[in-house]
Amino acid sequence: MSVVSTAGVYKVFKDFWRRPRVEAVQDLDLEIRPGEVFGLLGPNGSGKTTTIKMLLGLLYPTRGRISVFGKPPTDVAVKARIGFLPEESYLYRFLVADETLDYFGRLFRLPARIRRDRAERLLDMVGLKYEAKRPVGEYSKGMARRIGLAQALINDPEFLILDEPTAGLDPIGARQIKDVIRRLGSKGKTILLSSHVLADVEDVCDRVTILYGGRQQAAGEIGELLRQRDVTQITAPPLSEATIAQVRDLIQRLEAKDILGVSNPRMRLEDFFLRVVGEAHAANVRTSGARAGGEIPEFLKKKTEGPEGVVESLISAGARPAVPPAPPSEKPKADRAAEALLAELIGTAKPTTQDKKPVVAPSRSLGPPSPRRVAADESVIDDLLGRPSGESGEPGGQKP
Amino acid sequence: MSRVWAVAGQMIAEGIRMKLAIVFLALLALVVLGLPFSISGDASLTGAVQSFLSYSLTVTGVLLALLTIFMSRSLADELVEHNIFLIVTKPIPRWQFMLGKWLGITALNGVFLAFSGLAIYGMVHYVRKFHPPKDKVFDKAELDNEVLVARHPVKGVLPDFSKLAEAEFQQNLEEGLYANVPDFVPNKEKDRLWKKYDARWRVVGPLDSRDFEFHNVLCERSPNKELQLRYKTDVSQYPPDEVFRALWRFGDPRKGTPVYDVPVRHVVGRRHTVGVPADVIAEDRSVHVRFFNENPFRDEPQYGNVIEFRKSNEVELLFVVGSFGWNLLRLLVLMLCKLMFLAAVGLLTASVFSFPVACLTSLTVYVLAGSRAFITDALDLASDDTAALFSSVQEFLVRSIIFLTEALWRVIPDFPRYDAVESFVNGYNVGLVWVLQGVADLVLIKTTIVVGLAMLLFQRREVAEVSL
Repeated sequence: MSVVSTAGVYKVFKDFWRRPRVEAVQDLDLEIRPGEVFGLLGPNGSGKTTTIKMLLGLLYPTRGRISVFGKPPTDVAVKARIGFLPEESYLYRFLVADETLDYFGRLFRLPARIRRDRAERLLDMVGLKYEAKRPVGEYSKGMARRIGLAQALINDPEFLILDEPTAGLDPIGARQIKDVIRRLGSKGKTILLSSHVLADVEDVCDRVTILYGGRQQAAGEIGELLRQRDVTQITAPPLSEATIAQVRDLIQRLEAKDILGVSNPRMRLEDFFLRVVGEAHAANVRTSGARAGGEIPEFLKKKTEGPEGVVESLISAGARPAVPPAPPSEKPKADRAAEALLAELIGTAKPTTQDKKPVVAPSRSLGPPSPRRVAADESVIDDLLGRPSGESGEPGGQKP
Repeated sequence: MSRVWAVAGQMIAEGIRMKLAIVFLALLALVVLGLPFSISGDASLTGAVQSFLSYSLTVTGVLLALLTIFMSRSLADELVEHNIFLIVTKPIPRWQFMLGKWLGITALNGVFLAFSGLAIYGMVHYVRKFHPPKDKVFDKAELDNEVLVARHPVKGVLPDFSKLAEAEFQQNLEEGLYANVPDFVPNKEKDRLWKKYDARWRVVGPLDSRDFEFHNVLCERSPNKELQLRYKTDVSQYPPDEVFRALWRFGDPRKGTPVYDVPVRHVVGRRHTVGVPADVIAEDRSVHVRFFNENPFRDEPQYGNVIEFRKSNEVELLFVVGSFGWNLLRLLVLMLCKLMFLAAVGLLTASVFSFPVACLTSLTVYVLAGSRAFITDALDLASDDTAALFSSVQEFLVRSIIFLTEALWRVIPDFPRYDAVESFVNGYNVGLVWVLQGVADLVLIKTTIVVGLAMLLFQRREVAEVSL
């Protein structure tokens, strides 16, 4: 049975006099299957958020049928199986972070012990463990997004709806969110991700639907939609000009075709950014705005005192390379620097004082996690999935 | 219900954290704890305490009404700021969310009323102990007997003036006195005659007397118990010393009760209380009292004067049925009932309107509920019963407003009907029946209707609705 099924959904917004003014969604047929990460794409005003609001019972369709887990979206029992992160966090400004999670946990009728335990671990996961007693109203937008994600996970949802989850987050936070999505997706959660940040969707989704003007314009598996069937790409270690010439001749001889281009592949900007910031931080560069601010040093200092963080390991796991990790003693300096930054940002590492030399070797990897971190990494996800700790077996956080 | 209590707790947390409740609590504390030091009343201990009770309880009622209205706007804020998105997507039925909000406001009101009640109780005893007395023993006894007590009042039974009025009306009719009266309405004439006899009865000439009968005096018939006669007189002409001298005689020898004569020397124009042993109550639970308009103090000047017992100041017989503390508690319960209704109205308006409109609407309901009798009387005066509906624009408008208000009165309660402050301040019992009537009318009926309506509207509402 589909998690979400819509048929001919149409939504029109009316004016004060009940005259139809804007057709926000038209003839939408949608199906989200169990266990998939589904992307809802479209530019601003394309109907993504309206669709999500209808799936949650916040709006009612003007016509058409919507079912979630086979029931109407307004069914209270259905809501117990859903986690929702809205496009803005919409939290109660006067509650502190752990009260916020406790309150939402009570709405799910979770026992006090479970509420406390989950709140603590989720706050740890989103990197707010040491800000748990601050009113949410004092949080930055990025921090509010993190606590928003934590509240969306408090009930261990089967179906997670994320509306612009990375909006307002710095690249590190965005990466964390994406890694959490990957991990939850790989563990069988159904996820609906709405975003107009295409890279986010491409990174994590199995299938996507593209909306424009309230109508579905394209839909399908992301690999199929993006595959360029008229081009073949071979990735190899650096080759000499002579070898390239021979390959060119070989292809010409066998296929009677020319090579279209030969170049070194580019890194993704996100990976490059994380590397550079990590190296700068490890080099103890004091010109960083974040380090020079009033509250941020205190905030970071608190986190360095913390125990093992789950996010740290989630990030490490999510960025783990396909090749087996090198022994710790052979780890490149750049990797160690990036790892140190991330560990400190999420409150797991002790201050690092070495390595002021800039690192130039590019790498997609942020450094392989140690086995100990992999063990810490799994705990929250395992718990959310209701699986005994240590049964993961998941090699990293990469989508298969 | 755990989810309902979660919402209620969150509502209380909001009130406290957003400083709204703190501000009102500070104002309450300022009023209740500060008033005793700034109010003197008529300089007597009783006057000071009565003034303090009256002001502090009235201000408490108004402040908590405003707090209730501002607290209930929280729902409107949640709709505008979209916090509600995170609530209605959780597995809590919307009616439970609404109920939780209402319970939260009610709980906060309950706590504040308890604080106010305890502070008032404490300050009354503080004033009783430390207020500079004119006459230490007399002042405190008067306060204890007339204010810090719960007394049940029994009104005197009026003679049947309707027979006299009817007889005179028939006689006048036979004599043809009404033959040339234009627009003659028999009932109005009978009413006028009734009032004439009533007015005559209320006036006692010099050396004359007047009998008062009280029935159903359900006090223990014991000489150790006390009955109190409470009355206020007016005079045709003020005596030079502004004091009238008279005699009250209690008891009915025909019914075998002892007779007590109580000479009084009282200031004109003020309420006075006369005490008498409760064995004057006859076996049939009646008490006979006779007032003599003559000076029983032979060595004091005699001023022949006409004494009047006005209808607005009926003579009452009182006896103690309870304590000040429990009386205060019952009064606070009645106040809470009103606030519960107001919270329901606040939530109803907040589920439909945004913040300022919701607050203004609730405030309007509060004012209407508090001035129902005044509005009804004013509209009755403005309307001409004999005129046709469309006889004039004014008549049409007035009749329309009357029609509208009569519809409103079906839902909006009559707050003054359950306003027990004046009774309480005068040491009258705030009866359990009165309180139960308040609970039934204000909470079980009116509040249930309004909360039910609010739940229905909220249930059907698209919380993410966009109006273009």
